[in-house]
Amino acid sequence: MRVEARGLGVRLGGRVVFAALSFDWEGPGVIAVTGANGSGKTTLLKVVAGLLAPSRGSIAWREGARALKPHDARKGLGFVSPELGLYEDLSARENLAFFAGARGLAWSDADAERWLARMGLAGRGNDRLAGYSSGMKQRVKLAFALMARPGLVLLDEPGSNLDDAGRALLAGLVEEAARTALVVVATNDPAEAAWAQARVELAA
Amino acid sequence: MVWRWGLFLYMSAVTVAAFLYAPLANKLFEQTRIIYWHIPVAWVTVVAFLVCGVESVRYLRSRDLRHDAGAASAASLGLLFCALATVTGAIFSKGMWGAYWNWDPRQTSIFFLLLIYAAYGTLRAAVEEPARRARLSAVYGLFAAAVTPLLIFVVPRLFFTLHPDPIVNAGGKLEMHPRMFQVFMASLVGFTVLFFWVYSLEVRIRLAALRADGAWTGTGKDRAA
Amino acid sequence: MRTAWAVFAKDVRTELRARYALSATFVFALATLAIVSYAVGPFGGRAELLAAFLWTVLLFAASAGLAQAFVREMERRTWLTLRLVASPGAILLGKWGVNLALLLATEAVVVPMFLVLFGVSFASLPAFLAVLVLASVGLSAAITLVSALLAQARSHGALVPALAFPLIVPVLMAAVTGTKRALVEPGAAVTELRILAAYAGILVALGIVLAEFVMED
Repeated sequence: MRVEARGLGVRLGGRVVFAALSFDWEGPGVIAVTGANGSGKTTLLKVVAGLLAPSRGSIAWREGARALKPHDARKGLGFVSPELGLYEDLSARENLAFFAGARGLAWSDADAERWLARMGLAGRGNDRLAGYSSGMKQRVKLAFALMARPGLVLLDEPGSNLDDAGRALLAGLVEEAARTALVVVATNDPAEAAWAQARVELAA
Repeated sequence: MVWRWGLFLYMSAVTVAAFLYAPLANKLFEQTRIIYWHIPVAWVTVVAFLVCGVESVRYLRSRDLRHDAGAASAASLGLLFCALATVTGAIFSKGMWGAYWNWDPRQTSIFFLLLIYAAYGTLRAAVEEPARRARLSAVYGLFAAAVTPLLIFVVPRLFFTLHPDPIVNAGGKLEMHPRMFQVFMASLVGFTVLFFWVYSLEVRIRLAALRADGAWTGTGKDRAA
Repeated sequence: MRTAWAVFAKDVRTELRARYALSATFVFALATLAIVSYAVGPFGGRAELLAAFLWTVLLFAASAGLAQAFVREMERRTWLTLRLVASPGAILLGKWGVNLALLLATEAVVVPMFLVLFGVSFASLPAFLAVLVLASVGLSAAITLVSALLAQARSHGALVPALAFPLIVPVLMAAVTGTKRALVEPGAAVTELRILAAYAGILVALGIVLAEFVMED
């Protein structure tokens, strides 16, 4: 997937988060978005995800030559962020099944098993998410992001809450995803930023 | 400047004429003179409502905050005129039928409009961010506009109404004494002009306030596909 | 739509586990009913009053219990997640379905209690049931729409009843009149039913069309 932005500006609560941002991102590969806290990394990712309408400017998603509508773009998108929580009253299995069902994806118990095993959560799949540690929840979020085999993967501080094993898992997932998809990582962690071939720096 | 005074003199003349120039309708008393104010004011309420609705649609399509300023101004003025219509209607009702309020369908309709305007104002007060406020109030305005015809036109057709339509225009046509008609139309025109004048002032004030806050008032034509 | 159904099923499952909205709706309905019954006694009698009481009880219950549908998603930080996987129209439909189910479930318990407490007998039970269901459809639609709107506003759920009320007035009027007629007249309250159906249709259709605009951020 390609993402093209022209003159993006977002104003929230009376404050200009960023103004006049333009870029052309093309996958496959990894792009890092860096900047201090409050510089608007999460906000930018939300705009790229089609979840936040920019106050001015335009953004377009393309698959090959075809322009995608925001709703279609969201379907082919994975997003991990502290602001995208999961349903705590449901189990990991139920969460993933819901997301698959809502998006119209083919999904079976076998698929759920595979992903849970991959994330190191085998055997905990039927427990309510409320009982998970934050690291475990982060792993489920990663599964959620990647389950649809997305063309665009947005990762907002993905390593947060993860232990060393988790981080290794994350690095592996990113490398694998970046072979076919555009991966955008918003981070302050230099190790994560090092995955990227290109970098965008946001000023606070 | 000049025509502001012109409007004042015009409306004063209409007021005087309402009492001295126009005769009374058949079998009714002095209270009926209130129709020179009640109906024009109710008419303006409806006009304001329509303006608000149109501007709401235009905002949603263009994202230009000028239309939002128009919708908001129309709504706030509409609230004022609606309150006036309700009060003048209640006065007339007391004089004619002995009670200020009897839930006849027309009174119910005007009460309903009052609720809508008030709710719209409440919604606007609850949202601070200009673009979000504009968007949400436009949507609410459209819901209200969609539901209103049902209440105002369908319901009265089905139920008995105390409203004096059968008295002042028995044949369903406007059968007023020529003088009454003149004063009535003059008042109608006067109030309409008054509304649009104050409306334009309010819009300008709102836009100036937005710009002072640094809000981006430009059109959103170059936005997402 | 399949997505709407998925949203509906998910919410039902969550609700059955946590039971916040269900409890709120029930408790409000029962409390209001208790007060009315205490004040009026078993021989309250007149059809207009009974119709008014019933709909007062249901209105209270609906306002209290149904208004939180969207706010809860925001509080739990699942709102953006939901918007990522489902279109605004589907979200709205799914949530409305849940609210309607909640309301009907509450009515299934409260209405019989009401009938018993006031010794009510209906001239036309089918008409009453039709009015009840159709009005519940409209009522839940209005509250769902308004709570979607207000979820983005600062005060969250607190203003929902105030803003929903103007949209609900036509439903309430038709519902009260229809209920009254079902109490005393043996025929069907066709006029009211038509109004209720038209109203519900308009709200739902318009809601789906405007859902995109409501849920932009």
